[in-house]
Amino acid sequence: MRWAVYILFTLIALAIDASFGGILKIGESQPRFLPCVVVFAILSAPRPYAVRIAMMAGLLADLLSPVLRSDGTQLVVLGPWTLGFALGSLAVVPLRTLLYRRNPISSGFATLVFSLLASVVFVAVWVLRMLLLRDETPSWWPGTGGGEVWRQAKVALVNGLVAVPTVWLLEKTRPLWGFSTAKRVIPGAARDLA
Amino acid sequence: MNATKLLQYLSTRLRGPRLDGALAVLALVLAILPARALAPWTGDVARIVAVPIVPIMHLGMALRERIRPPREVFDPRAPEVIELEMAAERYRTLFEQSRLKTEALERDLAAVKAVRARAGSGGVQLETAAVIGIDPTRREGLVRISLGARHGVHRDAAVILRGDIFGGVVANDPAEFVSLVRPSVRCSLGVRIYPAEGVDADRAPAVFPGTVLKPADGGVWLGDLASDAEVREGQVVRLADDRYGNVSKGMRVGRVRRVLPNDQVPLARVVEVEPLAHLVDEATVVVAIDPPEGTP
Repeated sequence: MRWAVYILFTLIALAIDASFGGILKIGESQPRFLPCVVVFAILSAPRPYAVRIAMMAGLLADLLSPVLRSDGTQLVVLGPWTLGFALGSLAVVPLRTLLYRRNPISSGFATLVFSLLASVVFVAVWVLRMLLLRDETPSWWPGTGGGEVWRQAKVALVNGLVAVPTVWLLEKTRPLWGFSTAKRVIPGAARDLA
Repeated sequence: MNATKLLQYLSTRLRGPRLDGALAVLALVLAILPARALAPWTGDVARIVAVPIVPIMHLGMALRERIRPPREVFDPRAPEVIELEMAAERYRTLFEQSRLKTEALERDLAAVKAVRARAGSGGVQLETAAVIGIDPTRREGLVRISLGARHGVHRDAAVILRGDIFGGVVANDPAEFVSLVRPSVRCSLGVRIYPAEGVDADRAPAVFPGTVLKPADGGVWLGDLASDAEVREGQVVRLADDRYGNVSKGMRVGRVRRVLPNDQVPLARVVEVEPLAHLVDEATVVVAIDPPEGTP
């Protein structure tokens, strides 16, 4: 897998999420393209890289989603989305054997699972942070963590819907990504004859 | 040198799942660092990372604004907003005026219909007039209305309130466009006293006690009654006087306020009647104009 291409698509997805994504809002749920790109990469990249590429995307998501503090300043907290994406990738990796990877609908389902788990971890990390550091307020304040999980679940559903056309488009760029297409050759009778 | 060795050690030891675990632990540590440890550097890193995506973001924003233009910020002090609010207030006032006018017209119409139903086909002309003032001298309590000789009003024409209450009579020869009305409370009236709960239509009026009411101080009438007449407070007093025309005959005049003993005549009592409505309090009245003499 070419990391440069992955980083480029990740940055493009982040830029779209931060700008154009609002136009696709369904109710209060704005779809995010970043999980679609990450899931597409996880489903096609070598298995050992899955968690790392997800964490890198999560780190970028953390960097570009600052929290507004009570004194008006912004604070970038690294970790919540990074850990969330890591867990999401751990859930998606086993699906590689169950799903037909190049099918956009399979990718949509994988994106739904990925986004759901990532958001649960995101909320959990912030709750932990609030318990340890009393003066911190998460982005969903004054709402509750449960409410945020519910909201993120709806976002995950929308992400799953958006992933279908997005992954279909990403499939068109598959040659750029440099995914390995080598198949393991198993010796057998036919090969022996040849 | 030590750092290089440490990096070499880490690169040899942290591979595969170990590297993932180490990165996760590092992320967790970063996630629970206090703000004072993060604020000095994470914001700067974020700004650097954002640099390459800013052009794409601007492109996306331009596209978004093209597809869905942003709403303009509402300024409550903008001149057009103030003008619209004033216009809305103006139209609200006009609407309220129209509503009140409609209600008044409906009341007038109902009053005219009620009087017409009572007048029957006697050829009596009914006109609505506005109460426009009181007599400047105030000696006789006369009330000025907006109908005069030009409209056919004549002396002694009955003035009716709310469709069923005798309000008074035109006091003297009217002017061209206005008339002076003597309120009923200033008139001597021949009346009959009916039960408050209503009467059987078949019963003749003569079975109900009658009297002549004379104006008294305090805006009431006083009348003498025979001691055997059954009269109680609250009973309705209706006009039974031919002097005020057929239209007003039978109309309500007032209500029995008190029944008092007559000190001068032991076999009689005095009934005190208060008017049901005051002419000066009304906005519009109906004037019953008799047809000119010689009209069939």
